Parts: sequence; C-alpha cells; structure tokens
Amino acid sequence: MDRKVAIAGFRMAAAPDLETTRERLVFELSKGLLDDLGIDRDAVDNFVLCSNDFLDGRTISHVFLGPPAGGYMKDQTKVEMDGLNAFIYASMGIISGQYDVTMVLAMSLTGSQVSPYLYFDYSLDPTYDRQLKLLNELSAAALEARSYLAANGYPEELLDAVAVQNLKNAAANPGQARRIEGVSREKVKGSPYYYEPLRELHCYPPTDGGCAMLLVSERKAEELTDKPVWLLGMGRSTDIYFIGDRDLSTSLSAAQAAQRAYAMAGIKDPAAELGFAEISSPFAHQEPLLAESMGLLEKGKAAAAYEAGDTAVDGGMPLNPSGGPLGGNPLCAAGLIRVAEAARQLRGEAGENQVKKADKALVHGQDGLCAQQSAVVILGT
Amino acid sequence: MEEIKDTFLHPVVPLDFQNNYRVGAYLQRYLDGFREKKILGAKCSQCGRVVVPPRKYCGACNLVMEEFVELPQEGTLENFTVGHVTLEKGQLNRADAPYVIGMVRLEGASNSLLAKLDVAPADVKTGMKVKAVWKDQVEGEYTDLDCFQPA
Ligand SMILES: [Zn+2]
Repeated sequence: MDRKVAIAGFRMAAAPDLETTRERLVFELSKGLLDDLGIDRDAVDNFVLCSNDFLDGRTISHVFLGPPAGGYMKDQTKVEMDGLNAFIYASMGIISGQYDVTMVLAMSLTGSQVSPYLYFDYSLDPTYDRQLKLLNELSAAALEARSYLAANGYPEELLDAVAVQNLKNAAANPGQARRIEGVSREKVKGSPYYYEPLRELHCYPPTDGGCAMLLVSERKAEELTDKPVWLLGMGRSTDIYFIGDRDLSTSLSAAQAAQRAYAMAGIKDPAAELGFAEISSPFAHQEPLLAESMGLLEKGKAAAAYEAGDTAVDGGMPLNPSGGPLGGNPLCAAGLIRVAEAARQLRGEAGENQVKKADKALVHGQDGLCAQQSAVVILGT
Repeated sequence: MEEIKDTFLHPVVPLDFQNNYRVGAYLQRYLDGFREKKILGAKCSQCGRVVVPPRKYCGACNLVMEEFVELPQEGTLENFTVGHVTLEKGQLNRADAPYVIGMVRLEGASNSLLAKLDVAPADVKTGMKVKAVWKDQVEGEYTDLDCFQPA
C-alpha cells in the first residue's frame, strides 16, 4: 500500500438490551471516541456509517444517524453490509489519499428492538426461497454445520467444544453481551436444539450493540496515538446465493478473501505468521470451518486442535480470544467489533484474555447465508 | 440532567407495502412443469451444469442457459436438519413436533433442492434414496411438489 492506514481508537458497546435509542447509541460511541482521543468532530473529514434499513425500520437510515455521529455537513456514506465492509471502504478513502481521518461506525439494536432473524428473511430470494418457507438463517446454518461435520468425520461434540471455549472467553470479557458463569459442555449440551445439530448455545444471542472506530493516515497516526494498529492487507469474495449450489462443508468466500489479504500483507504461512484470529462465526461450527478455509487450522484436524487447546487464549492459534460472536453479535457492527477486539489484543489491552503472540492478526467478517460473502483484513503492530 | 424514563414505542412503521415480483420465464417453465408433475432444470451449454430450479444464467460461465431438461423424480438426500423451532416474521418458537428438511440431489442435477422430508426424525440418514411426492391436485404452484419420502 502506498499510504498506510492506522486504527487510532475505538469504542464498543454490546448487551442483550442497551436500553437506548439508535441515535443515543451512535452519539455516545462517536462522541466518546472523540473525547478519548482529545479531538472534536472538526478533525474528522469522512464518516462511514454501517446500519441496515430493514433493521432500522426506516429507509436511508444514516439520514437520522449521521448528525448524532457528528457527520453533519461532512462527507458521509453508508455501507449496508457487515461492518468489516465499512472498515475496508473507509480504509480505501485513506489509501487513495482523499482523506486523513475517517470515523467508521456500525450499529444495530437486534437484541431489544428488532429481531436479528428478519435480516436474513429479507435477504431471501422472494420468488423462490421466501415462497417455500423452508430456509431461514438458522436452518441454513444447521445444514452447513452438518455438511461440515460429515465431510470431516467430526463428532457433534466439536460444536460443544467450540461453544465452551468461546463462552468461557466471553465470560472473561467485560465488553461481551452474553456472559455465562461456569459454562461447561454439559450446560451447552443441555441447551435445546434449534435445528439439529445446532443448539441454542451453539448460536449467537440476539444483541444490541455498536462500534465506532477512527481510521487515520500515517501522518495523523503520529499525532493521535502512541499505539497505532496498522492495516496490512485486505480481501473480499462473494459466493453464489443459492446454498444448493454450494459445498457447505467449506467456505470458498473465506478462502478467497483470506488469500487476497495474505497476498497484500505478504503472508506465506498464515498459521505460523499470525498470532491469533477474530472470526465472525455466529454459529459454533463456523469458527473451525472458516479457520480451516483460511489456512489457520489444518483441514480435517480441527477437532484435535480444540481438544489440545491450540485454539484457546494460551494456545498456538487462539481463535476469538474475545469470546467471538457467541458472546454477542449485533448485526452490522459484528465485523467491526471483531476488528476492535483484535486491536485491543494488538495494543496489549485484552486483560484476562490477552494472547501471548499479539503482533499480527486476522479478522474475518461475513454477510449472507452461510458466509456467502467474506471479508478479511490483516492487522499488525 | 434528571434521568427520564422513556416510553417504548411499538411499530408504527408503514411497512405494509406490497412488493410484487414477476417470477421470470425460467421459474414459470418450472411451475408449468409442475402441472404435469415434472421437475425441470436448465443446462449450461458450455460447462454442462444442470441447475434445478432452472435459472437463466450460469454464474460460472456468465452465459444464458438455453436448454431445459427434465430431471428424474428420485435422488439422494445429501444433507438434512431436524427442526425443533419455527421462525416466522423474526419470531423464534418451539415447533409442535420435530420436522425434517433436507437437500435432495436429483439424479443428473448439479445442485441440490431444499425440500420437506416425509420421514421420521429417527430414521433420516444422509445418503438415503428419496423420491418426489406430489399433491393430488396440481396447480402450477411451488406447493404442488409436497415433499420427498424414502424411495
Ligand atoms: Zn456454465
């Protein structure tokens, strides 16, 4: 990259019910972040907002969210996919040289004020899948889970192991929405099935939340932070919509997005070079599935890796040391929160969940059924 | 400022609008086939892929698929899930009884159809042979193809 992009700071919020309004959440995240950095909105030249009109119940939702974000009379655009796409789009404005300071802000109140499942209902093909009424976010995820387990000969217990690891990490992360004390495999196994093999605790909890992040050019990074986190590479890929056309046991979109990001970051051996990963895996099976697809875990060896503790906070390849989406998954904000959690690790501020090798990390975001679309960024210190 | 207890407003969103969709010529052929209890797919002349239901474009080749082919009514259950919940209009509820949906690969097809399965949850297995079950009265609607059951 000719021009470098740094994360100068971020603010996050997540809870089952933040007892807030959309505008107040946006204001508190944005103003809070500006206050943290000791600047005001005059210092920001571009605002990229990430929300969803259906989830917001009003079209062109950034019309209402721009002013509380501080984006009034500024360049202000909206990304209506996952927040990691907003992050990439915002970064491009800095790489291009057009902007030096960009606020990227993503949010939704899918815990208390609108059902998260509507997002995917509205995304279904109206002339086919909506007519058949068989497909929804959860049934699609369950089909993907079984396909993945069957193709690799993994037992259903792998899902319990992934969920326990994530929920333990989430319980130790004060920023997470779902924090269960004393979580165990028995507790996960005791939670009711949604669609087999997925149980309630294998699935993300409906979550209110948001994330504001300030992205800056190299010149501004020197002024604004003594702990810059740098963007080293990024990539995206979109698979076909129809799940009946796809091999659900793997993720082509994640594999391609990661390869593109690795090429840009000069990474040859991701499993060896990356210290950890924050992965948008709203369902337990997706964490190993995506990690294998992106070359972070050896294909077919994921069950052994979880059993051996390789993916735990103190393992060789920590996955979602923050607790990941099983600890909280506000739509739109999900991928941006993964970036912020990775940045917290890279800055050495992850407290109890701090990983040892925090120099380079992968962040994955997704949109669509079964990660139809994937976005990957590589971050480093 | 003194803390103000706010009111939680319920939907007053004017989302009762109706979007109408033309199904297009390809899904129309599929539905017309249902009137004769036939399952049609579209074949790509370049890569030979057969997709069901038929679609106009082959995504891989970026070409119009111009040939319709009739598929057999039997296939293999490639994947399935037992549903214990229902999800309607965003609301998650426990189902009255577990039910099975799955992905059926018809013989000769390159992709899979998502379908209801008429089989007990305890008996469903990946790889089992299944066949289409039609409603007695077919009317050229998606619901004509009622479900699949073990062949
Ligand atoms: Zn083709």
